[in-house]
Order: sequence, then C-alpha cells, then structure tokens
Amino acid sequence: MSVEQIQQAEWTPKIVGFCCNWCSYAGADLAGTSRFQYPSNIRIIRVPCSGRVNPHMVIRAFQKGADGVLVAGCHPGDCHYSTGNYYARRRMLLFKRLLEYVGIEPERFQVRWISGSEGQKFAETAQKLTEQIKALGPNRKLRDVR
Amino acid sequence: MKAVNHKRLADILQEWSKGFKVVAPLKIDDNIRFKEWKEGSEVILNENSNIPPKEIFFPQTEEMYEYSIDKENVEIKEQVPTQEEFIVFGISPCDLKSLEMLDDLFLTKGFVDPYYKAKRDAAIIVAYLCDKPCRTCFCASMGINYQEAKGADIVIFKDGEELAFAAQSPKGEQLLGQVSPLLEEKELKLPAPEEFVLKADVEGLAEKLASMFEHSYWDTAYEKCLNCGACTYLCPTCHCFDINSHNRCKQGFKTRCWDTCMFADYTLMAGGHNPRPTRKERFRNRFLHKLQYFPERYEKTACVGCGRCIKKCPVNVDITAIIAQLKEVDLNG
Amino acid sequence: MRELVDKAKTIAKELLAKGEVDLVMGWEKGTFEDKTSPLFMRKPEDVDKLVINEFCFNSLAPYLLYYKNHQGKIALFVKGCDSRGVVRLIQDEQVKRDKIYLIGVPCTGMMELNHEGQLVDAAKCRGCTHPNPVLYDIILGEEVEAKSPGERFAAVEKETGSAREEVWKAWARNYDKCIRCYACQRICPACNCRECIFVDQGQEWIERRVDETENGAYSLIRAYHIAGRCVECGECERVCPVGLPIMKLNKKIAKDIEELFGPYEAGVDLEDKSPLGHFKYDDPEEFM
Repeated sequence: MSVEQIQQAEWTPKIVGFCCNWCSYAGADLAGTSRFQYPSNIRIIRVPCSGRVNPHMVIRAFQKGADGVLVAGCHPGDCHYSTGNYYARRRMLLFKRLLEYVGIEPERFQVRWISGSEGQKFAETAQKLTEQIKALGPNRKLRDVR
Repeated sequence: MKAVNHKRLADILQEWSKGFKVVAPLKIDDNIRFKEWKEGSEVILNENSNIPPKEIFFPQTEEMYEYSIDKENVEIKEQVPTQEEFIVFGISPCDLKSLEMLDDLFLTKGFVDPYYKAKRDAAIIVAYLCDKPCRTCFCASMGINYQEAKGADIVIFKDGEELAFAAQSPKGEQLLGQVSPLLEEKELKLPAPEEFVLKADVEGLAEKLASMFEHSYWDTAYEKCLNCGACTYLCPTCHCFDINSHNRCKQGFKTRCWDTCMFADYTLMAGGHNPRPTRKERFRNRFLHKLQYFPERYEKTACVGCGRCIKKCPVNVDITAIIAQLKEVDLNG
Repeated sequence: MRELVDKAKTIAKELLAKGEVDLVMGWEKGTFEDKTSPLFMRKPEDVDKLVINEFCFNSLAPYLLYYKNHQGKIALFVKGCDSRGVVRLIQDEQVKRDKIYLIGVPCTGMMELNHEGQLVDAAKCRGCTHPNPVLYDIILGEEVEAKSPGERFAAVEKETGSAREEVWKAWARNYDKCIRCYACQRICPACNCRECIFVDQGQEWIERRVDETENGAYSLIRAYHIAGRCVECGECERVCPVGLPIMKLNKKIAKDIEELFGPYEAGVDLEDKSPLGHFKYDDPEEFM
C-alpha cells in the first residue's frame, strides 16, 4: 500500500520498539500484567541488549513502513552485560543527530531507558510516542514505496 | 538548411513536447542526465552526460514482473513493456554508436529482449554533432566520425549562434515539419574537424588478446584498480544486469538492475565458489570483454571512445593506455 | 611539492636495491598533466616513473588491505591525510606497523581543474588540519603549515535555516542521483570490512534496486559505518561520478563526535580509542 492509500484509510501509526530483554521488555511485560492502558501501535521486537541495536535496523524499520522507532534499554549502570547500554548511548546519540541532519523528524526516532520495574513508564512512553507521531502523520522519508 | 538561433531551442522542444515525451541531457545540479524535458529545464549539449543515454533504454533498475502466491496458485503479472513514441534529444554520435552495440546484444542472435525493444522501437532519435571533442574523447580511434550520426532521425549541429537541423528519415521529416514555422532557411556548415588528444589503436587487438588470457601482463596491470563499478556503470556499452527478487510474505516483484564485472559477487556461485576470485580476474574480464569477446561475437569493439571511464575513474585507469600497453606486449616474451 | 621528487626517487631506489622492502607504492603521471595514478614499484628502474606533485590525490593506504598476507615489507608514500588512513588501518589491526615503511610527504594541498578549466585548490583539501604526515619512518622536506584548519567543518556549518521538509527534499534529490558504483566505499581507507554488506549479494540488508529508499539507506549507513574512523581525506566525494556531497555526512558526524564526546580526530594518534568503541560513564545523557 502506498503512503497515500494508507492515509486515506483510517491511519494509525506503526511504531517499532526495540526492547532489551532484561529491562525494557520486562517493563513492557509489567505494563501488561499491571493492566496499564497504552496504545497498541507499538510492535515490540525483543533484543538481548540495547547495545545490540544496529542503526541499520532503525533505517530498515523506516524503509519497511515504520512511522516511528523506539529503542529502549536498561538505565545506564543497570545493563545485564554491564556496559552494553553505554555503547548504545553513544551510538544512538550520534545516530539521532545524523537522521535529523538529513531531515527526519527527531520525534520519529527515540531512545528511552526503561527498567523492568517501570511498567508505568513504558505505558507512558508508548502513549506519548504514539501521540507525537500521530501529530506528524505517516512517514514518507526513506520509505520503500514500492 | 533549416536553422534556428540556439537561444530558441526551448521553443522547439516546447513544440515537440506537446505531442511527445522529450528526453534530453538536462542539467541537474552539477550533473547532466537524460531526463524528461519540461519547460524551464536547461539542456546541455556538447558535453558528455554523466550517465550515458543507455539508461533511457536499459534503466539501472527495471521492474520485470510481479507475483503472488495463493495456496497452490501462482499469479504472475507482467509489466508489459509498451511505450508510446518519444523523442531522445541531443544524443552524441558516440552514444548513438553505443546503441548499435546494445541493439546487437539485446535484439540479435535469436534473443530479443522485450523491455529493451519496446523502448528502442518507440524512440525517435535527434542527434547532436559535437562542436569539438573533449580532451577525454577518442571516438575517432573507435571508428566514429563525430560529425555524422548514422541512424538518427534528425541531426543537429551548431554553427556560430545557429542550430542547423537536418532530417534523415521520414519520421524526422515529419517531426521537423511540426516545428517548421520556427525554422528559417540558412546556409550553415559544420566546423572543421579537430584533432583528438587521446588515441587508441585496436587494429588486430582482438586476435592478439585471444592468446593473452594467461599472459603475465595481467599480473601487474590490475594492481591500481579498486574494483568499484564506476567505469562499467558509466560506460555506454556495458550492459550486464542481474535479476533480483523482492519478497514480501506471499507476494513480490522481480527487478533487473545493472551489474558490474568489477564486483566480487558478479561471478559468485551458489555454494561459494568464485571463478574470478581476485581483482586481477575481474580487471582482465572487463578489458577482454570490451576488446576481445564482444568483437568476436559482433565484430565491433565494445568501446565508443566517449572517455567517461577515463574522466571518472578514481585511480585513473585509462583504457587508451591499456590498449597501447596491450599492443606493445611481446607474445613470445 | 614537486621539488621533493628527486629525494623521493633516491629513497625508493635505495629501499628496493637494498631489499629492505619489495614493493613501493607511489604515483605516476596519469592521462593528463593534472592526473596521477597509483604506481607499484618492484624494481629500482620502476622508480623512474615516480612523480610527486599537487595532483597526487589518491591515498595509497587502502591498497594495504590487498597485501595483508604479503610476506615482505611494503613502503608507501603518505601525505598527511594518507598517513591518518594508515594509522586507522593499524588501529584496526588490518596491517602491522613493522610490515610497512612510510615515506612522509608534507602536503601543500592538491589542485584540480574547475569547470572553466582553471587550476584551483582542490575542494577536498579545504579545512585540512594535518597536511604533514602524522606517522612516518622518513620525511621528505620541511613540514608545512595547515592552510585553513579553522574551516574543518565549513561544509556543515552554514545550513541550519532551511525547513526540515526542504532539507529532506535536497537529500532525496541527491539519493536519486546515486548509481551505487561504490567508488566511495572502495576508495575509503576507513572501509576495511573483509566482507562488505553493500557489495555482497545474498545479504538482505540492502537491495540492488537504485531508488530513493535503498540509496538513502546506503548513504546513511555508509556514513555511519565510518563514524569515528573517517580521516576526512575527502576521497569519497572526489571520486563520486555524480558529485554527491558525501563529505557533508562525514563532517557532520565528526562534528557531532567533537561536540558530544570531546575533541577527536580519527587516525592522528595510534593510541587513540575510537569514539564509538569505548564510552565514559558521564557521557551526555538525553534519553532519560
């Protein structure tokens, strides 16, 4: 479906969330078991660590139809592998600026630290992200329209 | 001779574009590319386009068919290659010659490529004879007279401020008829032909190369080549492609894209064996294809002397120098 | 730089004659006066072709990757930026320091023909901070002053005004031109993966289709892949057959690295750690 067709249909954003297995995925799980309401626009992909997220995965998500991408990992200092998220922090800081430089809205690519006990924060993040991206409309940049 | 002031070229193109799609070498930022002419586009003549006009007939990416699978049924939707008549404006004599070679390849010896044929048949060719050769040009060495354009429907050249138009086919006559109110009758003539800086002599080279496959010349000649694809993608006669599929669940499509013998995966086989494993074999293949295999098959050297590869090669691999070195190689040595 | 050629020839001849190295990489005259081409010298008499002038654009560092398993020692001529490329390769353990012999060439800047046919300072040398080799075994001539080190980030400083949509449109227009010949990648001294995800078919990261999305992904990932490794030699942009502003992305990343993680220039010091290869506990934090 082309971007235009999607817009004509009732459009809700597609958000890809890369969640680290040890904290953010557990956080999302807790949000569910605690019955916190959050929009179902976010599709979670579980990764071992936020340090595993290759920037190419983010671009790939945009290419294949994501309107927003969230990378979520343990708080600095809490990484299951002790330092993975520190590397991710540097990598994502730089990558976010690069995407902005070529004209991609900063809201579309976000990084958050969400621990396994922060179910509430996960729900709020998903809520806020969805609202922001709804306001922006469908993503056309880098999008594979074919 | 029919003529118009060169500043009024846009009026002619405007007139033609009412009935046809006009593709011309346009200035796009710092590039010259063959793209559809629209009002306000700047046409650049007498300079090689960055990408040769082969991309009009044989685009870098071309969709072939779509498919979808529903349980046991496979449905294939072909992208039927149909094309309305269109005008290719401002093609230079060397690029025009390259079309002959692509014709040989795509249309003869019992294989007809429908995608190429559709576009080729629909094209009305308006050639522009170069004012003077660029320093990287050596078309004369490849048997091309830059002051004639055989096979074009209309030929244009510039004399001072005036552009002269001459029809060479009934189609061309018809097209000129359309713009006759804009044209005046004038006495114009081609400028005197100029000497070329670069020269190459391919006389008897194909026969010589036939025994040079294992020659030690190739052991060092390749060394500077980085195996990027610039030369092949910019070459008006290079024509290799591969076919890729794009799968999404139960549907997808196939595209064919330019490929280049410079890339490692060009000859890579399923299972991992690569008969051209290093830069040497790839480099050798490029020159043997141009100077031996193609002449053996079609009696033409697959080079038109446009000089794009010389101009753009990152490490200045110069085909005229290679030809000269090959001519000098002592086969008994 | 031309005056250095005699000394350079003597050194190269001596190295080859004494058998200290069995290959010397330099430059020879190209098709025209303003072009040179890499030269591979194996015998003292090969050295006669050697030239050193303001047209010796090519960095010879990437060629070292092809001689990883070379038994003997290799000598090569290095300008400032080339030597940084060599340092990067040593840092990435692609070559061993004791297997190469570096002949340093203080560089007064390259020259190129502009569209009007006049010789002008090469665009790639603008903002050069290291005209002198940072690593060498022997240096030809006196060290020179950097011409415009303050302009290192000139390419990315100007444009902040235009609206986001306009910015994207400009990039998309550029992506539309790219023919994916990978000249930028092959010439890059920072690109040293044994298998490149862009060139290997069979990987599913990127398709060969040439369109806005695949070209966009290619250029962003290529730029990001050499983040913290790019030695800012500008070769990628020089060799691009369609003239894309490739260095803009590289410079943007280099500038952000400096702003976020402190002063850093790739390939200047052998002991430096890659900014994306390590971290500090007090790195900037904006993801809470």
